Amino acid sequence: MSNSQVIDYDFDYYQPQNIEEALEYLGREGAQVLAGGTDLLNTIKIAGQQPPSLVYIIGVKELDFIKFEKGLTIGATTLLSEIEKDDRIINQYPALAESIHSIGGTQIRNQATLAGNLCNASPGADSAPALITLKAQAEISWKSEEREIERKIIPLEKFFTGPGATILRPGELVTAILIPEAPPFAGSAFKKIARVKLDIAKINCSVYLTRDGDLCNQVRIVLGSVAPTPVRARRVEDFLEGKKLNLSLLTKATKRATEDISPITDVRSTEAYRRELVSVIIRDTLMKAWKRSGGEIEK
Amino acid sequence: MKVPIILKVNGKEYALEVKANEILLNVLREKISLTGTKYGCGIGECGACTVLLNGRAILSCQILAVSVSGREITTIEGLAENNKLQPLQESFVDEGAVQCGFCTSGMILSAKELLDRNPDPTIDEIKDAIRGNLCRCTGYVNIIRGIKASTRKIRKRRKE
Repeated sequence: MSNSQVIDYDFDYYQPQNIEEALEYLGREGAQVLAGGTDLLNTIKIAGQQPPSLVYIIGVKELDFIKFEKGLTIGATTLLSEIEKDDRIINQYPALAESIHSIGGTQIRNQATLAGNLCNASPGADSAPALITLKAQAEISWKSEEREIERKIIPLEKFFTGPGATILRPGELVTAILIPEAPPFAGSAFKKIARVKLDIAKINCSVYLTRDGDLCNQVRIVLGSVAPTPVRARRVEDFLEGKKLNLSLLTKATKRATEDISPITDVRSTEAYRRELVSVIIRDTLMKAWKRSGGEIEK
Repeated sequence: MKVPIILKVNGKEYALEVKANEILLNVLREKISLTGTKYGCGIGECGACTVLLNGRAILSCQILAVSVSGREITTIEGLAENNKLQPLQESFVDEGAVQCGFCTSGMILSAKELLDRNPDPTIDEIKDAIRGNLCRCTGYVNIIRGIKASTRKIRKRRKE
């Protein structure tokens, strides 16, 4: 019965201390990962889902890390609040720090994990656009039938398959997020538009680009909350690559974004408003990323 | 099936038997009778259930009691010492930051985490820190004033 106060069914609860144990429990039928719990407990209480067993992975210390070595690797149980305040991430991957800071409020970020935000796979997941523009990958682990630990690496761009859906199979656990090194003259930025700061996005946008003199070299733009999964604004990217940036070019380019999205009307916004906003949010975010790469914009 | 856990709350240890599906908020209120922490929305959107876990503000309606066995929990009841109000509590009273009082426990604990790591926050930093705590009475003005005022109190107390 849907209620927000108690969980009214019994489940088996496991608290593994290491990856091997976690994958052992997750390999059993009906096992569900429990990390921060800020999505799952509501899915259970309100949406009435009843996973037969919960595997609480926050106790797995091996998965709690932020490592800088040939890029950035973030362990699956690292709290959002730890990631967003890491100075190296703020400096080298500002869009990532900004997008994580925009999630929920202090309390949620003190409990929730990056891997959890991705596995929940909301079309409006705030961490997804920045990670996809940064060409991030997910390291996924599981136990084979021979009880050996197997691993695979999947680009995040291929991770989401629909609202609330990912390519993860039963028994599979996201164990880390991998982000490549940021080259010099790279710039990234993130913007989120919501009713209040605690809210899920009406629309969010991340831009990552590299600058070659006054030419926009590579540009990746990802939008959230305007399609069943986070989407690339490819028509805008194609228009801008290799070009010298100025405001009128940006205005022309960002108008094409409406062809890359399929927004709906929901409690937070309308299809029409989202279509209206998409060109503006890309323009603002892109200009910020460009400035961060050291570029200037002509009027 | 009940499991034994140890909840460390406000410096005291409570040995309890709980089912895995028991939520921390309910265990605090019903098993240990610490009713200062409030049930507001139950879905993690209002912050009335905020407690500190190892010094970090979290939502007790969004976590299982079994998951926090052995970790330090601070509730609003844990702030005053020897019947003397903590500076945030004093400033909230002085600045009229308490109307119905329902959001107050959570508000103060969120503010406490902020001030523990940033003793001199700007107004914007205060607003950002409490964005997970809703108030339906005050309009937040006096709450923000109360938090800012407490920073001066804390600074003064440190010098004494």
